[in-house]
Amino acid sequence: MLKGEKIRKSFGDIEILHGIDIQVEPGTITTIIGPSGSGKSMLLRSLALLDPPTSGTVFIDEQAITFPRNTPIPTQFAWPRITVVFQQLFLWPHLTIRQNAVLPLRSRGILSPEDRVDQIIKEFGISSLADRFPNEVSLGQRQLGAIARALALQPRYLLLDEITSALDIEYVAMILDRLKSLRNRGVGLLLVSHLIDFARHSADQIVFLDNGTLVEQGPPTILDNPKSSRLERFLGLVLGAR
Amino acid sequence: MNFLQIIQQYSQPMLGGLLVTLKLCAVVWISGIVIGSTLGTLGASFRRSVGGPSKVISVILAGMPVLVFLFWMHYPLQAFLKVVVDPFLTAALTLSIINIFLVADQVRNAITDFPRQYLDAARVCGMKANDTLFHIQLPLLLRQLIPGLLLIQITVFQMTIFASMISVDEIFRVAQRVNSLIYRPVEIYTLLAFFFIAVCVPLNLFAHWLRVRFTRDHSER
Repeated sequence: MLKGEKIRKSFGDIEILHGIDIQVEPGTITTIIGPSGSGKSMLLRSLALLDPPTSGTVFIDEQAITFPRNTPIPTQFAWPRITVVFQQLFLWPHLTIRQNAVLPLRSRGILSPEDRVDQIIKEFGISSLADRFPNEVSLGQRQLGAIARALALQPRYLLLDEITSALDIEYVAMILDRLKSLRNRGVGLLLVSHLIDFARHSADQIVFLDNGTLVEQGPPTILDNPKSSRLERFLGLVLGAR
Repeated sequence: MNFLQIIQQYSQPMLGGLLVTLKLCAVVWISGIVIGSTLGTLGASFRRSVGGPSKVISVILAGMPVLVFLFWMHYPLQAFLKVVVDPFLTAALTLSIINIFLVADQVRNAITDFPRQYLDAARVCGMKANDTLFHIQLPLLLRQLIPGLLLIQITVFQMTIFASMISVDEIFRVAQRVNSLIYRPVEIYTLLAFFFIAVCVPLNLFAHWLRVRFTRDHSER
């Protein structure tokens, strides 16, 4: 399992995350919701060890990584067991969609990376775009390319930061479908998302953050019966704005 | 005397001047690229101790006309140090300093402005540091840097004519000397112009080709 225990993150005197406990099991979808600036993306980056926590422990399966620490972070163990699809995707712009997915596999010494990538690209229905550069395809297609790059690495945990925020509804539906099939294959998914309906119908666990604090977490039913007034107010605003 | 006769009669000194210009250029280009790139890379890694001072020197150099700097290196500095340095070396040193700091500025800025997110993406993909450097960081940096660096080298090449002002027998000074003997300024300076065009235009075109070929628009729509 991927687990964060008492995760705190500070920049100087300002604490962004105030001791958060979170757990993502393989084969489940956990959705983090919350208002802008609540620390959702920072929590995701902390769990991914990209912005290591100031204090707390990140458990990646059997490995516990405690902060603060004097020894280097065992990232070779963490990545790509955990991998991230960023909001802005960050596909390498000088490489085609296919090359973007092949390069990390080649770097990890995987034999015939092209076969594995081609299979995923075919599955995602983007074979005809695979030899184009990222800026030559639409945002939704780039999104699929970025997810394909991550999946080619066969991660155990996939962390996705607001990846559907700029997509039209058709692509959102397609991508969310892919995510559900990944869950069924045993991948643990942690999504930062504003898609309350998706969270309600597809997530196994909802985590509501506000101001760097975990206010409420539980099954999707918490969206219908929030215990905290803060979540209730947030849902009222989000659902009322639609 | 027409062009051909001038070339025939003064080919030896002209070739000598050309050789001096090319030697000067080679020294300035190599030192600028090698030391400037190293300084720029160090400046990006050690921003306070190397990057800051390097930037200050760049600003000072940018505010000083090349000719003034060259003359200062040739007269006041040598008088102060009580040494006499060969004008070729003075010119080579002066232009090298200018080139080094121009190149260092470009390299430092390119490295510090490099989008870290591309490296984050490589990290979470579990890529080895060497592969990230050689397959992601360097290709993107070089695509951004090479056209600009080529343009700097063209400018520096054109600056070599200032060396004539401190008696370096490079091509411009040779042309002046030939002109003082036969007084054919139209032919002689036209020949000189052709020489610079013959060197600079292909380099400019090459820089343009590199820009078109390798720095295609990466912006996402």
